[in-house]
Amino acid sequence: MSGSVPVESNLEKRTRDTRLGVWALLGVVSFLLLAAQIAPARTATAKLYVQSREAMGTKFTIYLYAASEEQAEAAFEASFDEIERLDRTLSNYNPDSELSRINRLAGRKWVTTDPEVFSLLQTCLGYTIRSGGTFDITVGPLMRAWGFFRGQGHYPTARELEQAREKTGWEKVQLDAETRAVHFAVPGMELDPGGIGKGYAVDRVVVLLRRAGVKVAMVDAGSSTLYAMGAPPGEKGWLVRVPKPGDLSKTISALLLKDESLSTSGSYEKFFQLNGRTYCHIMDPRTGAPVEGMLQTSVIAADGTTTEALSKPMFVMGTDEGAKYLASFPHVAGLWVTGKIDSPQVVPWNWPGCMGDCAETLAGDKERKAKAQ
Amino acid sequence: MSEIDRRKFMGNAAGALAGALLVAGCKEATKSVAPYSGPQVRLGIVGVGSRGQELMRTFLRVPGARITGLCDVYEPRFAAGRGITGEETPIYRDHREMLAAKDIDAVIVATPLSMHAQHIMAALESGRHVYGEKSMAFTVQECDGIVEAVKRTGKHYQVGLQYTYATWYRDTLRLIREGKLGQITQINACWHRNNNWRRAVADPNDKKLERLINWRMYKEYSLGLLAELGSHHIGFANQVFGGYPESVVGSGGIDYWKDGRETYDNVQVAYRYPGGQTLLFSSMTTNALEGAQMRVYGTEGSAVMTEGDGMLYYEAKKLKASVVTRVLIHHGIMTGASYMPEMPYRGKGEAVPLPEDVAGNANFLACESFVRGILTNQRPEADEHAGWAEAVSVVLGNKAIEEGKRIWFRDFAGKKSGA
Repeated sequence: MSGSVPVESNLEKRTRDTRLGVWALLGVVSFLLLAAQIAPARTATAKLYVQSREAMGTKFTIYLYAASEEQAEAAFEASFDEIERLDRTLSNYNPDSELSRINRLAGRKWVTTDPEVFSLLQTCLGYTIRSGGTFDITVGPLMRAWGFFRGQGHYPTARELEQAREKTGWEKVQLDAETRAVHFAVPGMELDPGGIGKGYAVDRVVVLLRRAGVKVAMVDAGSSTLYAMGAPPGEKGWLVRVPKPGDLSKTISALLLKDESLSTSGSYEKFFQLNGRTYCHIMDPRTGAPVEGMLQTSVIAADGTTTEALSKPMFVMGTDEGAKYLASFPHVAGLWVTGKIDSPQVVPWNWPGCMGDCAETLAGDKERKAKAQ
Repeated sequence: MSEIDRRKFMGNAAGALAGALLVAGCKEATKSVAPYSGPQVRLGIVGVGSRGQELMRTFLRVPGARITGLCDVYEPRFAAGRGITGEETPIYRDHREMLAAKDIDAVIVATPLSMHAQHIMAALESGRHVYGEKSMAFTVQECDGIVEAVKRTGKHYQVGLQYTYATWYRDTLRLIREGKLGQITQINACWHRNNNWRRAVADPNDKKLERLINWRMYKEYSLGLLAELGSHHIGFANQVFGGYPESVVGSGGIDYWKDGRETYDNVQVAYRYPGGQTLLFSSMTTNALEGAQMRVYGTEGSAVMTEGDGMLYYEAKKLKASVVTRVLIHHGIMTGASYMPEMPYRGKGEAVPLPEDVAGNANFLACESFVRGILTNQRPEADEHAGWAEAVSVVLGNKAIEEGKRIWFRDFAGKKSGA
């Protein structure tokens, strides 16, 4: 395990990474470095540390301010141990995981699970019902029918689709709260909590970081779910940029995030084209087909579990139905990018960010702000 | 926003549904099966550290198991433990207080090694069954004492050698006993890691807390890598060879992590069994290429066991001279191109098949078996005798490492316990 390094030295070595979150956060970090040069006294007591590890099929990165390397190390260790524990518990690739045990046995009998996994499944079911079925962690067989697990797209036959739909749907998953048990009414079903697991992991890390005495941090789960804890010295929040779909060098909106989470779903990384139509990997569980005409959705809410559970339903529902859905939650904001990749339409709802490449105007430091103007 | 608490989060979106979560599904499917409605086994745990917490989560996946007591001397563990049970589980700062409670049927012991015997004995004497983490105990005398206490109280004791319950280990052991791998002559086992084996301590200047959290590093509490990482391999070798070793030689040292620790950062031991077989075990903290594995070598084949699966490889068949008729001489010998499509050395190997109706990792299968054993009055397979053989091997292996000489088991163990 490598030791945690102050961000300064890490940045010097780092080559440009085009992933959304890292790119956005590098914006934050380089800005902070400039701010630190202008006002060194502000960062004299705490340094910004960073550590990354691969888990849950992506890369988790944690930035945090700590008074010493020991404090940073302890906070990173607690955080990544927890992420790895959740990965071992919820992975549907690892045959040893609790989720794999449920998937293997719940088609034959009721399977009791621990309070954490059971409550996560209850939460999923809550979101499924509330979202009219647009959030659904049983869509694995449909994804397979459309070829998304084989790495190449495939238009399923009517029979393939029918078979996949028979094994899909939350109404066929039974939960018994008394015994914390799960049962599939139809054999061959599978649960894939990928649509909420990273957000939940982010929330658990936030709890542990606070317990470790960390006050200011950014938890980044592969850029698709971020949580900003507190604000960097001299700032009102952590600067986050939302990129133009398909072009990470362009910003369509920038905002300051503080004590809240942001999740983004996009269709432009995994998709296939057939007969002039583009099929993305985000499934509409109601129709059994991939969503068309939507490029990207971003959502802000109090915690990572909520934002992750809202970003895909927003994507599936579209702007009108999606805005109504978001309005049923407190303190939530959304941003849709619809249409075609070469002529995207940006649709904000209750969105606090500035639009376009406006990150400079959000600078907390007066001198920098004045410079930007 | 205030701290996101997991339990608050649980109540968040799904709260309204919590009371009525039995979703009406396909009624035909539910006829044949129903959620568990049998008796409960109420578990108290001593030692709510990282391993204790993992055991708690695992036990809570077993139908009928409930955690009804948390005992620790480090205050933050209580919140962590209650976070896992999801309820206001009673807490105890002394194991005797917990054993005085009426709502506990069995006790999980996950304390530092040097405290195992004290906690196991007290639990057994109070009439509780015990699931005790490996290694069973710290000294040969303590191991003898536990065997005697189990006999006296009639309670179940299961040692945390969870691979005893892993299907791929059980199947491999069955194949070995059926002679599929021939005569087993040697097992090479290792658990190699690449980290300092330390846990972060909230206050690095608090020396008492450092010893408490990093107890594995200090000889007062720990028998080091051999106990913490070698127990499983030793336990399995004892099953394969039967009984326990007759002698051991060892070496090791603090050669890389010179950070004030007392237990070695690398150890190597060679155990000899009465049947003329050998177990080699190595543990290092500076390279993780091999990970945790065990290679079982027999005259007809080999088994390679990991934490998640097993692979079998068979030796090339030994050919015997065969008699040829004189027809060959009359017919002549054909000449042509020499070609064989593939000549793999041992082939790809054959996976030990995983059964359809059993799923779960080794920890789950061990915990499930312990609970089922209590409910059905069946004694554990990884019992006090398996624990004795494993722990005595660890104690004497460590003695060989420390003293740098061959240790004969007959000089230190075996007569009193009858194990």
